[in-house]
Amino acid sequence: MKQIKSFFRYDNIGLLYALPAFLYMLFFVGFPIVSNLILSLQNVTVRNLVRGSRDFIGFDNYIKLMHDPVFLRAMFNTLLFTVSCLVVQFVIGFALALLFQKDFSFARPVRGLLMIPWMIPMTVTALIFKFMFSTDVGIINYFLKSAGVITENIQWLTSPATAMTAVITANIWIGIPFNTILISTGLTTIPLELYESAAIDGANGRQKFFKITLPLMRTTIESLLVLGFIYTFKVYDMVYVMTGGGPVNSTHLLSTYSYKLSFEMFQYSLGSSAANVLLVILLLVGVVYLKITMKGEME
Amino acid sequence: MEKGSKKGKKEFLLCLVSVVILCLLLFPLFWIFITSLKTEKEIFQIPPTFYPHVLNTKSYAAQIGNGDFNMFRSFANSLIISTGAMAIAVVLAVPASYAVARYRFKGRNGMLLCFLVTQMLPVSVLLTPMFIMFKGMHIYNTWLSAILSDATLGIPFSVLILKNYFASVPRDLEEAAYIDGCTRFLAFLRILLPVAKPGVVVCAIFSFLYGWGDLAYGMTFILDQKKRPITAGIFNFMGQYGTKWSYLTAFAIVTIIPVALIFLFMQKYIISGMTSGAVKG
Repeated sequence: MKQIKSFFRYDNIGLLYALPAFLYMLFFVGFPIVSNLILSLQNVTVRNLVRGSRDFIGFDNYIKLMHDPVFLRAMFNTLLFTVSCLVVQFVIGFALALLFQKDFSFARPVRGLLMIPWMIPMTVTALIFKFMFSTDVGIINYFLKSAGVITENIQWLTSPATAMTAVITANIWIGIPFNTILISTGLTTIPLELYESAAIDGANGRQKFFKITLPLMRTTIESLLVLGFIYTFKVYDMVYVMTGGGPVNSTHLLSTYSYKLSFEMFQYSLGSSAANVLLVILLLVGVVYLKITMKGEME
Repeated sequence: MEKGSKKGKKEFLLCLVSVVILCLLLFPLFWIFITSLKTEKEIFQIPPTFYPHVLNTKSYAAQIGNGDFNMFRSFANSLIISTGAMAIAVVLAVPASYAVARYRFKGRNGMLLCFLVTQMLPVSVLLTPMFIMFKGMHIYNTWLSAILSDATLGIPFSVLILKNYFASVPRDLEEAAYIDGCTRFLAFLRILLPVAKPGVVVCAIFSFLYGWGDLAYGMTFILDQKKRPITAGIFNFMGQYGTKWSYLTAFAIVTIIPVALIFLFMQKYIISGMTSGAVKG
Protein backbone atom coordinates (compact mmCIF):
# COMPACT_ATOMS: atom_id res chain seq x y z
CA MET A 1 0.00 0.00 0.00
CA LYS A 2 2.73 2.35 1.03
CA GLN A 3 4.61 1.48 -2.10
CA ILE A 4 1.63 2.26 -4.30
CA LYS A 5 1.15 5.56 -2.52
CA SER A 6 4.75 6.58 -2.99
CA PHE A 7 4.64 5.55 -6.66
CA PHE A 8 1.84 8.03 -7.33
CA ARG A 9 3.39 10.72 -5.20
CA TYR A 10 5.02 12.99 -7.74
CA ASP A 11 4.96 12.81 -11.49
CA ASN A 12 3.36 9.43 -11.63
CA ILE A 13 0.10 10.85 -10.39
CA GLY A 14 -0.26 11.98 -13.99
CA LEU A 15 -0.80 8.37 -14.88
CA LEU A 16 -4.14 8.44 -13.08
CA TYR A 17 -5.34 11.35 -15.20
CA ALA A 18 -4.09 9.88 -18.45
CA LEU A 19 -5.18 6.30 -17.94
CA PRO A 20 -8.92 6.57 -18.72
CA ALA A 21 -8.32 7.99 -22.19
CA PHE A 22 -5.51 5.58 -22.84
CA LEU A 23 -7.49 2.53 -21.77
CA TYR A 24 -10.44 3.65 -23.89
CA MET A 25 -8.22 3.85 -26.95
CA LEU A 26 -6.56 0.56 -26.07
CA PHE A 27 -9.92 -1.18 -25.88
CA PHE A 28 -11.59 0.38 -28.92
CA VAL A 29 -8.56 0.84 -31.18
CA GLY A 30 -5.58 -1.17 -29.94
CA PHE A 31 -7.50 -4.36 -29.45
CA PRO A 32 -9.25 -4.15 -32.87
CA ILE A 33 -5.89 -3.63 -34.61
CA VAL A 34 -4.59 -6.85 -33.11
CA SER A 35 -7.77 -8.74 -33.86
CA ASN A 36 -7.70 -7.41 -37.42
CA LEU A 37 -4.22 -8.83 -37.77
CA ILE A 38 -5.38 -12.22 -36.51
CA LEU A 39 -8.46 -12.05 -38.73
CA SER A 40 -6.30 -11.57 -41.78
CA LEU A 41 -4.49 -14.83 -41.06
CA GLN A 42 -7.74 -16.79 -40.76
CA ASN A 43 -10.50 -17.72 -43.16
CA VAL A 44 -13.46 -15.85 -41.71
CA THR A 45 -16.45 -15.31 -43.96
CA VAL A 46 -20.10 -14.75 -43.14
CA ARG A 47 -20.44 -18.47 -42.34
CA ASN A 48 -18.06 -18.58 -39.39
CA LEU A 49 -18.14 -14.93 -38.29
CA VAL A 50 -20.14 -15.40 -35.09
CA ARG A 51 -19.73 -19.10 -34.40
CA GLY A 52 -17.93 -22.00 -35.96
CA SER A 53 -14.27 -22.78 -36.11
CA ARG A 54 -11.78 -20.39 -37.62
CA ASP A 55 -8.75 -21.93 -39.23
CA PHE A 56 -5.42 -20.22 -39.45
CA ILE A 57 -4.38 -20.20 -43.07
CA GLY A 58 -1.18 -18.21 -42.78
CA PHE A 59 -0.58 -15.61 -45.44
CA ASP A 60 -2.97 -17.15 -47.94
CA ASN A 61 -5.21 -14.08 -47.93
CA TYR A 62 -2.31 -11.79 -48.74
CA ILE A 63 -1.13 -14.11 -51.50
CA LYS A 64 -4.65 -14.22 -52.89
CA LEU A 65 -4.78 -10.41 -52.93
CA MET A 66 -1.49 -10.17 -54.79
CA HIS A 67 -3.09 -12.17 -57.60
CA ASP A 68 -6.30 -10.17 -57.56
CA PRO A 69 -6.33 -7.67 -60.44
CA VAL A 70 -8.87 -5.45 -58.67
CA PHE A 71 -6.64 -5.24 -55.59
CA LEU A 72 -3.61 -4.34 -57.69
CA ARG A 73 -5.67 -1.74 -59.49
CA ALA A 74 -6.84 -0.37 -56.13
CA MET A 75 -3.25 -0.14 -54.99
CA PHE A 76 -2.29 1.81 -58.08
CA ASN A 77 -5.39 4.01 -57.79
CA THR A 78 -4.66 4.84 -54.18
CA LEU A 79 -1.20 6.01 -55.11
CA LEU A 80 -2.43 7.96 -58.14
CA PHE A 81 -5.23 9.51 -56.07
CA THR A 82 -2.91 10.51 -53.25
CA VAL A 83 -0.11 11.95 -55.36
CA SER A 84 -2.41 13.89 -57.69
CA CYS A 85 -4.37 15.38 -54.82
CA LEU A 86 -1.22 16.26 -52.90
CA VAL A 87 0.50 18.02 -55.77
CA VAL A 88 -2.48 20.05 -56.97
CA GLN A 89 -3.80 21.09 -53.58
CA PHE A 90 -0.33 21.99 -52.39
CA VAL A 91 0.37 24.24 -55.37
CA ILE A 92 -3.03 25.96 -55.20
CA GLY A 93 -2.85 26.15 -51.41
CA PHE A 94 0.58 27.76 -51.55
CA ALA A 95 -0.53 30.30 -54.14
CA LEU A 96 -3.57 31.23 -52.08
CA ALA A 97 -1.53 31.48 -48.89
CA LEU A 98 0.88 33.88 -50.61
CA LEU A 99 -2.06 35.95 -51.83
CA PHE A 100 -3.68 36.17 -48.40
CA GLN A 101 -0.31 36.99 -46.86
CA LYS A 102 -0.54 40.37 -48.56
CA ASP A 103 -1.96 43.22 -46.58
CA PHE A 104 -5.48 44.02 -47.80
CA SER A 105 -8.78 44.38 -46.05
CA PHE A 106 -10.50 41.26 -47.44
CA ALA A 107 -7.55 38.96 -46.71
CA ARG A 108 -8.70 37.57 -43.37
CA PRO A 109 -12.45 37.25 -43.92
CA VAL A 110 -12.03 35.65 -47.35
CA ARG A 111 -9.40 33.24 -46.11
CA GLY A 112 -11.76 32.32 -43.29
CA LEU A 113 -14.63 31.61 -45.65
CA LEU A 114 -12.40 29.37 -47.74
CA MET A 115 -12.21 26.97 -44.80
CA ILE A 116 -15.83 25.91 -45.26
CA PRO A 117 -15.20 23.08 -47.78
CA TRP A 118 -12.86 21.44 -45.29
CA MET A 119 -15.55 21.25 -42.60
CA ILE A 120 -18.34 19.79 -44.69
CA PRO A 121 -18.97 16.07 -44.22
CA MET A 122 -17.25 14.17 -47.01
CA THR A 123 -20.46 12.37 -47.86
CA VAL A 124 -22.02 15.71 -48.74
CA THR A 125 -19.01 16.81 -50.76
CA ALA A 126 -19.19 13.55 -52.66
CA LEU A 127 -22.88 14.16 -53.37
CA ILE A 128 -22.20 17.70 -54.55
CA PHE A 129 -19.53 16.59 -56.99
CA LYS A 130 -21.52 13.60 -58.14
CA PHE A 131 -24.24 16.06 -59.08
CA MET A 132 -21.86 18.48 -60.78
CA PHE A 133 -20.12 15.71 -62.70
CA SER A 134 -23.31 13.94 -63.79
CA THR A 135 -23.60 13.49 -67.53
CA ASP A 136 -26.83 15.26 -68.44
CA VAL A 137 -27.62 17.67 -65.59
CA GLY A 138 -24.02 18.23 -64.59
CA ILE A 139 -22.94 21.86 -64.54
CA ILE A 140 -19.37 20.90 -65.40
CA ASN A 141 -20.38 19.44 -68.74
CA TYR A 142 -22.48 22.56 -69.35
CA PHE A 143 -19.55 24.89 -68.65
CA LEU A 144 -17.16 22.85 -70.79
CA LYS A 145 -19.66 22.83 -73.62
CA SER A 146 -20.30 26.57 -73.39
CA ALA A 147 -16.58 27.21 -73.45
CA GLY A 148 -16.29 25.07 -76.56
CA VAL A 149 -13.94 22.57 -74.96
CA ILE A 150 -16.24 19.63 -75.67
CA THR A 151 -19.11 19.06 -78.06
CA GLU A 152 -20.58 15.89 -76.56
CA ASN A 153 -21.35 15.43 -72.86
CA ILE A 154 -18.61 13.51 -71.06
CA GLN A 155 -19.78 10.52 -69.02
CA TRP A 156 -17.54 11.47 -66.13
CA LEU A 157 -18.59 8.96 -63.52
CA THR A 158 -19.79 6.16 -65.73
CA SER A 159 -16.68 5.68 -67.83
CA PRO A 160 -13.50 4.24 -66.30
CA ALA A 161 -11.28 6.71 -68.17
CA THR A 162 -12.68 9.82 -66.45
CA ALA A 163 -14.12 8.62 -63.13
CA MET A 164 -10.78 8.89 -61.34
CA THR A 165 -10.37 12.49 -62.50
CA ALA A 166 -13.75 13.40 -61.08
CA VAL A 167 -13.01 11.78 -57.74
CA ILE A 168 -9.60 13.43 -57.50
CA THR A 169 -11.09 16.85 -58.31
CA ALA A 170 -13.62 16.49 -55.52
CA ASN A 171 -10.95 15.58 -53.01
CA ILE A 172 -8.72 18.47 -54.04
CA TRP A 173 -11.59 20.80 -53.20
CA ILE A 174 -11.32 19.67 -49.58
CA GLY A 175 -7.53 19.73 -49.55
CA ILE A 176 -7.12 23.33 -50.70
CA PRO A 177 -8.32 24.99 -47.47
CA PHE A 178 -6.24 22.60 -45.39
CA ASN A 179 -3.09 23.48 -47.32
CA THR A 180 -3.86 27.20 -47.48
CA ILE A 181 -4.32 27.59 -43.75
CA LEU A 182 -1.27 25.57 -42.78
CA ILE A 183 1.00 27.31 -45.25
CA SER A 184 -0.39 30.68 -44.14
CA THR A 185 0.53 29.86 -40.56
CA GLY A 186 3.98 28.79 -41.64
CA LEU A 187 4.47 32.03 -43.56
CA THR A 188 3.72 34.17 -40.51
CA THR A 189 6.69 32.64 -38.71
CA ILE A 190 9.15 34.11 -41.21
CA PRO A 191 10.51 37.39 -39.82
CA LEU A 192 9.69 40.34 -42.06
CA GLU A 193 13.14 41.86 -41.55
CA LEU A 194 14.59 39.12 -43.72
CA TYR A 195 12.54 40.31 -46.68
CA GLU A 196 13.38 43.93 -45.94
CA SER A 197 17.10 43.35 -45.84
CA ALA A 198 16.88 41.20 -48.96
CA ALA A 199 15.07 44.07 -50.69
CA ILE A 200 17.86 46.43 -49.68
CA ASP A 201 20.33 43.99 -51.22
CA GLY A 202 18.32 44.24 -54.42
CA ALA A 203 16.59 40.86 -54.41
CA ASN A 204 13.55 40.52 -56.66
CA GLY A 205 10.32 38.69 -55.81
CA ARG A 206 11.42 35.41 -57.29
CA GLN A 207 14.73 35.42 -55.47
CA LYS A 208 12.97 36.24 -52.21
CA PHE A 209 10.62 33.31 -52.71
CA PHE A 210 13.30 30.75 -53.53
CA LYS A 211 16.01 32.01 -51.19
CA ILE A 212 13.96 33.00 -48.15
CA THR A 213 10.41 31.68 -48.21
CA LEU A 214 10.99 28.13 -49.41
CA PRO A 215 14.03 27.27 -47.27
CA LEU A 216 12.46 28.68 -44.11
CA MET A 217 9.20 26.87 -44.80
CA ARG A 218 10.93 23.53 -45.09
CA THR A 219 9.64 21.96 -41.88
CA THR A 220 6.12 23.22 -42.50
CA ILE A 221 6.11 21.90 -46.05
CA GLU A 222 7.53 18.55 -45.02
CA SER A 223 5.03 17.89 -42.30
CA LEU A 224 2.18 19.26 -44.41
CA LEU A 225 2.98 16.90 -47.28
CA VAL A 226 3.43 13.88 -45.06
CA LEU A 227 0.27 14.64 -43.12
CA GLY A 228 -1.59 15.29 -46.37
CA PHE A 229 -0.35 11.95 -47.66
CA ILE A 230 -1.67 10.16 -44.59
CA TYR A 231 -5.07 11.87 -44.72
CA THR A 232 -5.48 11.35 -48.46
CA PHE A 233 -4.18 7.80 -48.59
CA LYS A 234 -6.91 6.57 -46.27
CA VAL A 235 -9.82 8.49 -47.82
CA TYR A 236 -12.85 6.30 -47.99
CA ASP A 237 -16.18 8.16 -48.00
CA MET A 238 -15.44 10.29 -51.04
CA VAL A 239 -14.93 7.43 -53.45
CA TYR A 240 -17.43 5.12 -51.82
CA VAL A 241 -20.23 7.67 -52.19
CA MET A 242 -19.27 9.08 -55.59
CA THR A 243 -18.59 5.89 -57.51
CA GLY A 244 -18.74 2.96 -55.07
CA GLY A 245 -15.47 1.85 -56.66
CA GLY A 246 -17.06 1.58 -60.10
CA PRO A 247 -17.49 1.69 -63.02
CA VAL A 248 -16.17 -1.88 -63.36
CA ASN A 249 -13.96 -1.52 -60.26
CA SER A 250 -11.93 1.22 -61.93
CA THR A 251 -11.94 3.68 -59.02
CA HIS A 252 -11.47 1.39 -56.04
CA LEU A 253 -8.99 2.58 -53.45
CA LEU A 254 -7.51 0.22 -50.89
CA SER A 255 -9.99 1.54 -48.34
CA THR A 256 -13.11 1.10 -50.48
CA TYR A 257 -12.03 -2.27 -51.80
CA SER A 258 -11.36 -3.52 -48.30
CA TYR A 259 -14.85 -2.36 -47.32
CA LYS A 260 -16.36 -4.07 -50.32
CA LEU A 261 -14.60 -7.35 -49.55
CA SER A 262 -15.77 -7.29 -45.93
CA PHE A 263 -19.23 -5.83 -46.03
CA GLU A 264 -20.52 -6.48 -49.54
CA MET A 265 -18.88 -9.81 -50.33
CA PHE A 266 -18.64 -10.87 -46.66
CA GLN A 267 -15.05 -12.06 -47.09
CA TYR A 268 -14.06 -10.62 -43.75
CA SER A 269 -10.56 -12.07 -43.65
CA LEU A 270 -9.74 -10.93 -47.15
CA GLY A 271 -11.05 -7.45 -46.36
CA SER A 272 -8.93 -7.33 -43.22
CA SER A 273 -5.85 -8.28 -45.19
CA ALA A 274 -6.46 -5.47 -47.68
CA ALA A 275 -6.92 -3.04 -44.79
CA ASN A 276 -3.67 -4.23 -43.23
CA VAL A 277 -1.77 -3.50 -46.43
CA LEU A 278 -3.19 0.02 -46.24
CA LEU A 279 -2.18 0.23 -42.58
CA VAL A 280 1.40 -0.88 -43.17
CA ILE A 281 1.94 1.74 -45.87
CA LEU A 282 0.43 4.42 -43.63
CA LEU A 283 2.63 3.41 -40.72
CA LEU A 284 5.74 3.60 -42.87
CA VAL A 285 4.82 7.13 -43.88
CA GLY A 286 3.79 7.80 -40.28
CA VAL A 287 7.32 7.09 -39.13
CA VAL A 288 8.51 9.92 -41.35
CA TYR A 289 5.87 12.22 -39.88
CA LEU A 290 6.84 11.28 -36.35
CA LYS A 291 10.46 11.97 -37.08
CA ILE A 292 9.54 15.48 -38.19
CA THR A 293 7.20 16.32 -35.31
CA MET A 294 8.47 14.20 -32.46
CA LYS A 295 11.09 16.69 -31.38
CA GLY A 296 8.33 19.12 -30.41
CA GLU A 297 6.10 16.48 -28.85
CA MET A 298 8.54 14.80 -26.51
CA GLU A 299 10.24 17.87 -25.13
CA MET B 1 -0.68 61.58 -52.98
CA GLU B 2 0.24 59.53 -56.01
CA LYS B 3 1.59 56.79 -53.79
CA GLY B 4 -1.70 56.69 -51.87
CA SER B 5 -3.81 56.15 -54.96
CA LYS B 6 -1.42 53.49 -56.17
CA LYS B 7 -1.84 51.71 -52.89
CA GLY B 8 -5.60 52.05 -53.14
CA LYS B 9 -5.54 50.55 -56.59
CA LYS B 10 -3.50 47.61 -55.41
CA GLU B 11 -5.85 47.09 -52.48
CA PHE B 12 -8.84 47.12 -54.81
CA LEU B 13 -7.20 44.65 -57.18
CA LEU B 14 -6.30 42.24 -54.39
CA CYS B 15 -9.81 42.39 -52.97
CA LEU B 16 -11.26 41.75 -56.40
CA VAL B 17 -8.99 38.76 -57.03
CA SER B 18 -9.76 37.25 -53.64
CA VAL B 19 -13.52 37.64 -54.14
CA VAL B 20 -13.29 35.96 -57.56
CA ILE B 21 -11.37 33.06 -56.05
CA LEU B 22 -13.88 32.81 -53.24
CA CYS B 23 -16.82 32.67 -55.67
CA LEU B 24 -15.04 30.04 -57.73
CA LEU B 25 -14.22 27.82 -54.77
CA LEU B 26 -17.57 28.15 -53.04
CA PHE B 27 -19.59 27.79 -56.24
CA PRO B 28 -20.40 24.10 -55.54
CA LEU B 29 -22.15 25.11 -52.31
CA PHE B 30 -24.09 27.90 -53.97
CA TRP B 31 -25.05 25.50 -56.72
CA ILE B 32 -26.58 22.81 -54.53
CA PHE B 33 -28.38 25.42 -52.45
CA ILE B 34 -29.98 26.85 -55.59
CA THR B 35 -30.76 23.37 -56.86
CA SER B 36 -32.48 22.40 -53.63
CA LEU B 37 -34.94 25.26 -54.21
CA LYS B 38 -35.75 24.36 -57.80
CA THR B 39 -38.44 22.08 -59.16
CA GLU B 40 -37.29 18.76 -60.56
CA LYS B 41 -38.21 20.02 -64.03
CA GLU B 42 -36.13 23.16 -63.72
CA ILE B 43 -33.11 21.15 -62.56
CA PHE B 44 -33.08 19.23 -65.83
CA GLN B 45 -33.56 22.36 -67.91
CA ILE B 46 -30.88 23.28 -70.45
CA PRO B 47 -29.39 25.85 -70.30
CA PRO B 48 -29.45 25.67 -66.50
CA THR B 49 -30.93 28.51 -64.47
CA PHE B 50 -28.69 30.23 -61.95
CA TYR B 51 -31.49 31.11 -59.57
CA PRO B 52 -34.78 29.26 -59.07
CA HIS B 53 -37.36 30.73 -61.45
CA VAL B 54 -40.07 28.85 -59.61
CA LEU B 55 -39.34 28.68 -55.91
CA ASN B 56 -39.87 25.13 -54.66
CA THR B 57 -39.55 24.36 -50.95
CA LYS B 58 -41.29 21.00 -51.26
CA SER B 59 -38.00 19.12 -51.24
CA TYR B 60 -37.56 20.16 -47.62
CA ALA B 61 -41.17 19.90 -46.49
CA ALA B 62 -41.85 16.57 -48.18
CA GLN B 63 -39.28 14.77 -46.08
CA ILE B 64 -40.56 15.66 -42.64
CA GLY B 65 -42.81 12.66 -42.27
CA ASN B 66 -41.60 10.60 -45.16
CA GLY B 67 -41.18 6.95 -44.15
CA ASP B 68 -37.68 5.56 -44.25
CA PHE B 69 -35.96 8.71 -45.43
CA ASN B 70 -37.09 11.21 -42.87
CA MET B 71 -34.16 13.57 -42.99
CA PHE B 72 -35.05 15.36 -39.80
CA ARG B 73 -35.01 12.12 -37.87
CA SER B 74 -31.62 11.29 -39.40
CA PHE B 75 -30.57 14.78 -38.38
CA ALA B 76 -31.60 14.09 -34.78
CA ASN B 77 -29.77 10.74 -34.86
CA SER B 78 -26.61 12.46 -36.03
CA LEU B 79 -27.01 15.09 -33.34
CA ILE B 80 -27.29 12.42 -30.63
CA ILE B 81 -24.36 10.41 -31.96
CA SER B 82 -22.02 13.39 -32.47
CA THR B 83 -22.88 14.96 -29.12
CA GLY B 84 -22.32 11.65 -27.34
CA ALA B 85 -18.98 11.12 -29.05
CA MET B 86 -18.01 14.70 -28.26
CA ALA B 87 -18.86 14.28 -24.58
CA ILE B 88 -16.78 11.11 -24.26
CA ALA B 89 -13.84 12.65 -26.09
CA VAL B 90 -13.79 15.83 -24.02
CA VAL B 91 -14.28 14.12 -20.67
CA LEU B 92 -11.45 11.68 -21.32
CA ALA B 93 -9.10 14.03 -23.18
CA VAL B 94 -9.10 16.92 -20.69
CA PRO B 95 -7.48 15.06 -17.78
CA ALA B 96 -5.23 13.05 -20.11
CA SER B 97 -3.85 16.13 -21.84
CA TYR B 98 -3.36 17.86 -18.49
CA ALA B 99 -1.33 14.89 -17.31
CA VAL B 100 0.77 14.80 -20.43
CA ALA B 101 1.44 18.53 -20.25
CA ARG B 102 2.26 18.73 -16.54
CA TYR B 103 3.70 15.42 -15.36
CA ARG B 104 6.63 13.35 -16.52
CA PHE B 105 5.08 10.05 -15.48
CA LYS B 106 6.19 6.57 -16.48
CA GLY B 107 5.05 5.66 -19.98
CA ARG B 108 4.24 9.26 -20.92
CA ASN B 109 6.15 9.23 -24.18
CA GLY B 110 4.77 5.85 -25.13
CA MET B 111 1.24 7.11 -24.59
CA LEU B 112 1.87 10.23 -26.63
CA LEU B 113 3.18 8.07 -29.43
CA CYS B 114 0.03 5.94 -29.28
CA PHE B 115 -2.22 8.99 -29.54
CA LEU B 116 -0.21 10.28 -32.50
CA VAL B 117 -0.38 6.95 -34.29
CA THR B 118 -4.10 6.44 -33.76
CA GLN B 119 -4.70 9.72 -35.57
CA MET B 120 -3.26 8.14 -38.70
CA LEU B 121 -5.29 4.94 -38.67
CA PRO B 122 -7.61 4.21 -41.57
CA VAL B 123 -11.16 3.30 -40.56
CA SER B 124 -10.93 0.20 -42.75
CA VAL B 125 -8.59 -1.46 -40.27
CA LEU B 126 -11.00 -1.02 -37.38
CA LEU B 127 -14.34 -1.67 -39.08
CA THR B 128 -14.46 -5.47 -39.13
CA PRO B 129 -13.05 -6.08 -35.63
CA MET B 130 -15.27 -3.36 -34.17
CA PHE B 131 -18.22 -4.88 -36.00
CA ILE B 132 -17.54 -8.26 -34.39
CA MET B 133 -16.87 -6.64 -31.02
CA PHE B 134 -20.10 -4.61 -31.01
CA LYS B 135 -22.06 -7.70 -32.00
CA GLY B 136 -20.53 -9.47 -29.01
CA MET B 137 -21.33 -6.53 -26.71
CA HIS B 138 -24.94 -6.54 -28.01
CA ILE B 139 -24.77 -2.88 -28.97
CA TYR B 140 -24.70 -3.54 -32.71
CA ASN B 141 -27.45 -1.55 -34.43
CA THR B 142 -27.71 1.03 -31.64
CA TRP B 143 -26.59 4.66 -31.38
CA LEU B 144 -24.09 3.61 -28.75
CA SER B 145 -21.98 1.66 -31.25
CA ALA B 146 -21.55 4.77 -33.40
CA ILE B 147 -20.96 6.98 -30.35
CA LEU B 148 -18.22 4.72 -28.98
CA SER B 149 -16.47 4.39 -32.33
CA ASP B 150 -16.75 8.07 -33.27
CA ALA B 151 -15.19 9.05 -29.95
CA THR B 152 -11.98 7.28 -30.99
CA LEU B 153 -11.58 9.96 -33.68
CA GLY B 154 -11.89 12.86 -31.27
CA ILE B 155 -9.82 11.59 -28.34
CA PRO B 156 -6.31 11.53 -29.85
CA PHE B 157 -6.87 14.86 -31.62
CA SER B 158 -8.12 16.46 -28.41
CA VAL B 159 -5.30 15.15 -26.24
CA LEU B 160 -2.64 16.45 -28.60
CA ILE B 161 -4.27 19.87 -28.99
CA LEU B 162 -5.18 20.45 -25.36
CA LYS B 163 -1.73 19.45 -24.19
CA ASN B 164 -0.39 22.64 -25.75
CA TYR B 165 -3.01 24.78 -24.01
CA PHE B 166 -2.23 23.29 -20.61
CA ALA B 167 1.48 23.61 -21.20
CA SER B 168 1.04 27.33 -21.88
CA VAL B 169 -0.48 28.02 -18.45
CA PRO B 170 2.26 29.55 -16.29
CA ARG B 171 3.35 27.28 -13.45
CA ASP B 172 3.37 30.22 -11.03
CA LEU B 173 -0.38 30.43 -11.31
CA GLU B 174 -0.70 26.82 -10.28
CA GLU B 175 1.83 27.10 -7.48
CA ALA B 176 0.08 30.13 -6.06
CA ALA B 177 -3.02 27.98 -5.79
CA TYR B 178 -1.12 25.32 -3.85
CA ILE B 179 0.11 27.92 -1.42
CA ASP B 180 -3.46 29.02 -0.92
CA GLY B 181 -4.21 25.48 0.16
CA CYS B 182 -5.63 24.07 -3.05
CA THR B 183 -5.10 20.37 -3.70
CA ARG B 184 -3.69 19.43 -7.07
CA PHE B 185 -7.09 18.33 -8.25
CA LEU B 186 -8.74 21.58 -7.14
CA ALA B 187 -5.99 23.59 -8.82
CA PHE B 188 -6.65 21.65 -12.00
CA LEU B 189 -10.37 22.41 -11.83
CA ARG B 190 -10.20 26.03 -10.68
CA ILE B 191 -7.02 27.40 -12.25
CA LEU B 192 -5.96 25.32 -15.23
CA LEU B 193 -9.28 24.39 -16.72
CA PRO B 194 -10.60 27.96 -17.01
CA VAL B 195 -7.37 29.12 -18.64
CA ALA B 196 -7.41 26.23 -21.10
CA LYS B 197 -11.09 26.80 -21.92
CA PRO B 198 -10.52 27.91 -25.53
CA GLY B 199 -8.65 24.66 -26.09
CA VAL B 200 -11.52 22.67 -24.65
CA VAL B 201 -13.87 24.45 -27.05
CA VAL B 202 -11.62 23.56 -30.00
CA CYS B 203 -11.64 19.93 -28.93
CA ALA B 204 -15.39 19.86 -28.47
CA ILE B 205 -15.94 21.39 -31.92
CA PHE B 206 -13.62 19.02 -33.72
CA SER B 207 -14.86 15.94 -31.89
CA PHE B 208 -18.39 16.94 -32.83
CA LEU B 209 -17.42 17.53 -36.47
CA TYR B 210 -15.65 14.16 -36.67
CA GLY B 211 -18.82 12.48 -35.48
CA TRP B 212 -21.03 14.57 -37.73
CA GLY B 213 -18.95 13.78 -40.81
CA ASP B 214 -18.57 10.08 -40.16
CA LEU B 215 -20.11 7.70 -42.65
CA ALA B 216 -18.22 4.42 -42.30
CA TYR B 217 -18.96 3.73 -38.62
CA GLY B 218 -22.57 4.87 -38.67
CA MET B 219 -23.33 2.93 -41.82
CA THR B 220 -21.59 -0.27 -40.77
CA PHE B 221 -22.68 -0.52 -37.15
CA ILE B 222 -26.25 0.70 -37.52
CA LEU B 223 -28.50 -1.14 -39.96
CA ASP B 224 -31.85 0.29 -38.95
CA GLN B 225 -32.56 3.31 -41.15
CA LYS B 226 -34.54 4.88 -38.30
CA LYS B 227 -31.41 5.05 -36.14
CA ARG B 228 -28.81 5.85 -38.77
CA PRO B 229 -26.95 9.18 -38.90
CA ILE B 230 -27.73 11.68 -41.62
CA THR B 231 -24.66 10.83 -43.71
CA ALA B 232 -25.77 7.22 -43.98
CA GLY B 233 -29.28 8.50 -44.71
CA ILE B 234 -27.99 10.48 -47.67
CA PHE B 235 -26.02 7.52 -48.91
CA ASN B 236 -29.05 5.24 -48.78
CA PHE B 237 -31.22 7.83 -50.43
CA MET B 238 -28.69 8.20 -53.26
CA GLY B 239 -28.76 4.46 -53.80
CA GLN B 240 -32.54 4.39 -54.12
CA TYR B 241 -33.42 7.70 -55.76
CA GLY B 242 -30.12 8.44 -57.46
CA THR B 243 -31.37 11.21 -59.73
CA LYS B 244 -33.91 12.91 -57.50
CA TRP B 245 -31.55 15.83 -57.16
CA SER B 246 -34.03 18.26 -55.58
CA TYR B 247 -34.44 15.95 -52.59
CA LEU B 248 -30.76 14.99 -52.50
CA THR B 249 -29.52 18.56 -52.50
CA ALA B 250 -32.06 19.50 -49.82
CA PHE B 251 -30.72 16.62 -47.76
CA ALA B 252 -27.19 17.92 -48.29
CA ILE B 253 -28.12 21.47 -47.24
CA VAL B 254 -29.74 20.24 -44.03
CA THR B 255 -26.58 18.28 -43.25
CA ILE B 256 -24.45 21.38 -43.71
CA ILE B 257 -26.56 23.58 -41.39
CA PRO B 258 -24.79 22.70 -38.12
CA VAL B 259 -21.43 23.01 -39.83
CA ALA B 260 -22.37 26.45 -41.11
CA LEU B 261 -23.55 27.52 -37.65
CA ILE B 262 -20.35 26.33 -36.05
CA PHE B 263 -18.39 28.19 -38.67
CA LEU B 264 -20.35 31.40 -38.19
CA PHE B 265 -19.99 31.54 -34.43
CA MET B 266 -16.72 29.78 -33.80
CA GLN B 267 -14.52 30.50 -36.76
CA LYS B 268 -11.47 31.47 -34.73
CA TYR B 269 -11.55 28.17 -32.86
CA ILE B 270 -11.65 26.22 -36.09
CA ILE B 271 -8.62 27.90 -37.57
CA SER B 272 -6.68 27.49 -34.35
CA GLY B 273 -7.65 23.82 -34.24
CA MET B 274 -6.62 23.20 -37.82
CA THR B 275 -3.26 24.83 -37.38
CA SER B 276 -2.23 23.66 -33.96
CA GLY B 277 -3.54 20.19 -34.63
CA ALA B 278 -1.42 19.47 -37.62
CA VAL B 279 1.84 21.30 -37.69
CA LYS B 280 3.99 22.21 -34.78
CA GLY B 281 6.06 25.28 -35.57
